[in-house]
Amino acid sequence: MHYKNVWNEVPRPEVVKTPSRFRRGMGKYAVMLSEACNNCLKCVAICPEKVFEERGGKLLPPHDHLCLGVECSLKSNRCARNCPTSAIRVGMNPSTRAMGDKRWTADLLMSTWYMAETGRLPKTDLEYRTGDSGGGFDKIRFRFPRRPPRPDLDKETIDTSITLNKRNDSRLKIDIGFPVYGGGMSFGSISQITMLSRIRAFAAMNSFTCTGEGGYPEALYPFDDYIITQVATGLFGVREETIQRVKIVEFKYAQGAKPGLGGHLLGDKVTEAVARIRETVPGSSLFSPFPFHSVYSVEDHKKHVDWIKAINPRCLISVKVSTPTDVDMVAVGSYYAGAHIVHLDGSYGGTGAAPDVAKKNIAMPIEYAISKVHNFLVNEGVRDEITLIVSGGIRTAFDIAKAIALGADGVVTGTSELVALECLRCHNCESGRGCARGIATTDRELTGLMDLEWGSRRIINMFLCWRAQLREILYRLGMSSVRELVGRTDVLAHLDYNKDVPDDDIRKPAE
Amino acid sequence: MIHKGAYADRIIKSRIREFGLVAATKNEKREDEGGCGVTGFAANIPVAGRHIFEPSIRMHNRGNGKGGGIAAVGFDPDQLGVSRDVLESHYLLNIALLDQECLPMLKEANVTPFFDVAKEELLGHLFDYREIPGLEVKPPDVWRAFVRVKPEVLAKFIEENGFQGMPLRWAEDEFVSRNSYRLNTRFYSSVGDKQAFVLSHGRNSMILKIVGYAEHVVQYYQLEDFVAHVWIAHQRYPTRGRVWHPGGAHPFVGLNEALVHNGDFANYYATCDYLRQRGLHPQFMTDTEVSVMLFDLWNRVYGYPLEVILEALAPTGELDFDLLPPEKQRLYDTIQSTHIHASPDGPWFFIIARNIPETNTFQLLGITDTAMLRPQVFSLYDGEVQIGLICSEKQAIDATLRSLAAGDPRFSPVADRYWNARGGSVDDGGAFLFNVEPAADGSRRLTCMNKFGKPVTVAARKPLDITAPVTKPDDYGIAIEPLLHEALESKDSAKIYDLFRTHAALWDYNTLRWVVGRIGKWVSVNADGLDGVIDGLTLLLDRRIPLGDKKRSAFIRIVTEELYGILRSLTRVTESVRLGRFALVDFQTRHALRPPVAVERVLVVDAKDFAPEGDECQSVLLVDAFKLGWRRFIVFDLRGQRFDGCGFGPRTDDVRIDLYGSSGDYVASGIDGMELHVHGNAQDQVAQIMKRGKLVIYGDAGQCFMYGAKGGTTFVLGNAAGRPLINAAGHPRVVINGTALDFLAESFMAGDPLNGGGFVIVNGLTMDEDGNVIFLDRPYPGSNLFSLASGGALYVRDPHRVIVDEQLNGGRLVELSNEDWELIHPYLLENERHFGIKVDELLTVDGLKRHPHEVYRKVEAVPLAVLTKIPETDDSVWARNAVRKAV
Repeated sequence: MHYKNVWNEVPRPEVVKTPSRFRRGMGKYAVMLSEACNNCLKCVAICPEKVFEERGGKLLPPHDHLCLGVECSLKSNRCARNCPTSAIRVGMNPSTRAMGDKRWTADLLMSTWYMAETGRLPKTDLEYRTGDSGGGFDKIRFRFPRRPPRPDLDKETIDTSITLNKRNDSRLKIDIGFPVYGGGMSFGSISQITMLSRIRAFAAMNSFTCTGEGGYPEALYPFDDYIITQVATGLFGVREETIQRVKIVEFKYAQGAKPGLGGHLLGDKVTEAVARIRETVPGSSLFSPFPFHSVYSVEDHKKHVDWIKAINPRCLISVKVSTPTDVDMVAVGSYYAGAHIVHLDGSYGGTGAAPDVAKKNIAMPIEYAISKVHNFLVNEGVRDEITLIVSGGIRTAFDIAKAIALGADGVVTGTSELVALECLRCHNCESGRGCARGIATTDRELTGLMDLEWGSRRIINMFLCWRAQLREILYRLGMSSVRELVGRTDVLAHLDYNKDVPDDDIRKPAE
Repeated sequence: MIHKGAYADRIIKSRIREFGLVAATKNEKREDEGGCGVTGFAANIPVAGRHIFEPSIRMHNRGNGKGGGIAAVGFDPDQLGVSRDVLESHYLLNIALLDQECLPMLKEANVTPFFDVAKEELLGHLFDYREIPGLEVKPPDVWRAFVRVKPEVLAKFIEENGFQGMPLRWAEDEFVSRNSYRLNTRFYSSVGDKQAFVLSHGRNSMILKIVGYAEHVVQYYQLEDFVAHVWIAHQRYPTRGRVWHPGGAHPFVGLNEALVHNGDFANYYATCDYLRQRGLHPQFMTDTEVSVMLFDLWNRVYGYPLEVILEALAPTGELDFDLLPPEKQRLYDTIQSTHIHASPDGPWFFIIARNIPETNTFQLLGITDTAMLRPQVFSLYDGEVQIGLICSEKQAIDATLRSLAAGDPRFSPVADRYWNARGGSVDDGGAFLFNVEPAADGSRRLTCMNKFGKPVTVAARKPLDITAPVTKPDDYGIAIEPLLHEALESKDSAKIYDLFRTHAALWDYNTLRWVVGRIGKWVSVNADGLDGVIDGLTLLLDRRIPLGDKKRSAFIRIVTEELYGILRSLTRVTESVRLGRFALVDFQTRHALRPPVAVERVLVVDAKDFAPEGDECQSVLLVDAFKLGWRRFIVFDLRGQRFDGCGFGPRTDDVRIDLYGSSGDYVASGIDGMELHVHGNAQDQVAQIMKRGKLVIYGDAGQCFMYGAKGGTTFVLGNAAGRPLINAAGHPRVVINGTALDFLAESFMAGDPLNGGGFVIVNGLTMDEDGNVIFLDRPYPGSNLFSLASGGALYVRDPHRVIVDEQLNGGRLVELSNEDWELIHPYLLENERHFGIKVDELLTVDGLKRHPHEVYRKVEAVPLAVLTKIPETDDSVWARNAVRKAV
């Protein structure tokens, strides 16, 4: 048998159980064993969630993250009640109180990890739909009809694909398999393994991932057809060759997390490898200016788009902008300049590298921007000719569906994939050697904390779970395609303005 | 003599009394735009409106057909059907009637009670606007009248406003201005359906604007033959709303001035507040209107001299401010601190056309913001006629001149000078003005000067009379023909060049034209001499040679026309006989493009009719030809088409492209290996993200030269305008023989130049018409040099040690080492081969040849704390506090 190198192949979109790479997965509940345990292994047989596992007749440390909670443990036929030595006790995991933040709550982190491990929704009472920020998508709920309006729909065949080129031009016609593609995270800000894991996972879903502005490492070449390359203000690593490799080119004018601040990669993360790809000096911080120095107006922008079109005669053009108050003007300007995709980046997104003063404080929250732009483009009569993609704090399948119902065609995610790779949201992405979990780092030792196949599988599992959730949502709304959901604000409710908003948990069966 | 500003207080107070401090209409900016194309010219003879046509069309891609306008100043009274006295003394009201029915009501409300009307008419126009292809919205009818304020009305106005003692004309100006405001309020800004608005009300000037392209104005109102001394035009790019009003289009009117604008204010609201505090209320919701209101306020109400107005608009800063004389510093400091909140902030470039009735002067004025963020080119031709031009792109200037020269042989298709302004600088103040002043003999003269009144001139030389027949010179057979034939037969381009270099100064225009013409004749029967002739003529265009009493612009014109003629007579790709080394393709034959056959090596592209961008642009044809196997290209008669050299992809080392004519933006952007020569000035965004290869520019480079470049070797004969080499990384190696306006090599990250990294050599020189080198007083005048750079180096020819630390922000001036000189010497030698600028000459200071260490200085990167350390973020502060609390 020949040795087969598989890293450069697109994985199959199927769930493969992929447990945590650390010894004990972190859970909402902690399962504690006292010294009284006599290794009778009764618990291994009792627990339906396989929290307990034995090896060589000895009980392994329990898998906390699979545990369904205190109530379950106290049931007459479950672990705590049936332990002959009363050695098992289940309680709240105190670590969860320190974990996460208002937007990415401990529940949301852990439910995402669960999806990444199993491809399924957690069975526990983890809140998997929203965070606890008190605004944005966290205050919006779906209003499902009491009964699914079209029970004849086959959930498995509900269409989740979207079209990226709605212009009637000679350029590529591209449909992606589910309404999500990967946002720009540069080589340098994240490791090559993280980058490839995302790219392979999106490729498995027949979608795309953006390179960010750190250049185009050679390892990405096998995935050219699934990559969006970014032309950002620093022009790091941008060459004609990279522009010609891909099917979609993205202009990054601004990031929602830090509009008007450009990009920055601090010196410590500029290793030899990063500097080589960006053709800069190792150890020196790299700043992207906040504007394109060659683009100060809409006709400059058109010229800029024309330039990329001249270099790559088949590619689509995406224009990524943040959400200032006149974002509608920006969107329509991009349309007239010949862009195929307008990508709005709202204020909730961004990793640890964005300064706190900018994060959440400058740009318009994305849920407002989506409606504003969607309605404006409809009134202009050009909505059918441009694809509206949004990002900035899209964390869950519910966020995706809400964004689409507000008027987007699809979304871009980034942080969620990192969470699938067991990001803890510790906000130290930019500092020192980078990420303690080996995700957002270029340090060789830290990068070794993760393996490519594991990373790809984790993200694919999460995506498959998202797609299943999307289909369930669409089924409950009686829609056969995600395209029907665009702009359907009537299926949404807001906790502040609507009374008697029902629970939209799709783990509960529809009536 | 009363100073105008003496009445400022009274005018402002009475305006506030009448119009209040708070706007009658809700003052929300509804119109939003950034992009535009602007163009304008002023000539000492009246010029017909059709000549604003060409530049307007050439700048279509700077507008979107949703707003266009023109303004003109200085008319022929006969064409208007009035006496010269009426033309000069009366206000020329131009009112756009969006609703034709409102005219009687409008006259009754705002005209008849106040004005004596000398003449009124509805402006003629095409019967059906749909005759103009592309014009989708019917332009407004325009009611025009020559008016004076009735004496009794004026007397009452003076009485009511306390303007006693004010010269009557000033009061009348103020009355006209307010009346228009009232008219606009009633018929435009306060009603749902907009009915009418004042286009212009100045003397001997007018503005017309529509929803469409600027040249549609000329067509629709049939102004092709209407003459004026000054014309400006504007292509607008509004992006919002499906219904546009011509009211939002440029130009906007002050009193006797019309302003067009390319850009966008960041402080629009602050500026509006400033105006409102002075009783002035914007009505059209665009920053352009606000700009002209500021100009009118400072000019007419405060009575500031132009220099002061320009300072208030574009303040002098940084090193430039320090270099001002002390009394100027005091003055400018006062202006800046008084008007800073009204000083337009953001990228902008204004062109103003105005009539100064006091001196019967027509003026064209261009001014850039301090950071020079919008493109701008000025030019001047001074021959039998004089013309000054200001445009967003050089190619639009060339288009104007071509149009003028085609209609009137006294004009030249090539200007004598082209230049950029340096915003807010001590050198030119970022502004140049062209004055068309009356001369004693009844004719007019055009003068050009900068903000400080320093004149811009061209050497007084004999203009070319293109209509004169070309005859064989008497001494041709004996003195010239043998030399010419020897040079031609040698097939050596240098010999041809040398013949002209040594003899052209002595020849008259007739001889010159005859000799150049003989070259074309000779080559038509000696095809194997083509290479030498093309290269020889190219050398004549690229280098400057002594021309005696002849104008270089005329010489360029003669050589260019001959060269184009030779190129156009080459075998076409459609012909199957007469195959040679060259094959010619043009727009009509572009589909017949095929791989090179037999001995064919050079594809010659006649760019004349190609589109500026998109699938019908010749840059796309070049890429197609490359794929078919062509490697050598000559592209000529370019008219601003963009992207030449783009799209070839990686590894193009065997490709060479030569560009002739007005090359467009983004030339050579991203090239990887090829060699590209721009014969003449290059425009903006040249060589962005260049990877490898060679670029030679025999002229100036525009804005953002080599932005984000990764490598390559480039040579620039002239200047690089604003922001060259920003964010360049890798190993670009650049020689700029002129200088750069500002922000040279900001965030330069090109490694260690002595170990394969990149560098920029700045020689800081210019040349006179005959090619003599003149070293600039300051090799780099800007305040920002090598800011925040982390790698690479600059080598500046600075024998007098003029560059100071204040210009640096992160760089360090050091002495040149031997390794440095060994590094740059080969590049200076190659520079000599391209441009004839001798290394010896560069090393000569005050007549003495010096050691390189005494002549060149190096600026290298120093590790800045901000670049290497992790800044203290809010996060870390928060974390520390949290820890402290927990403890």
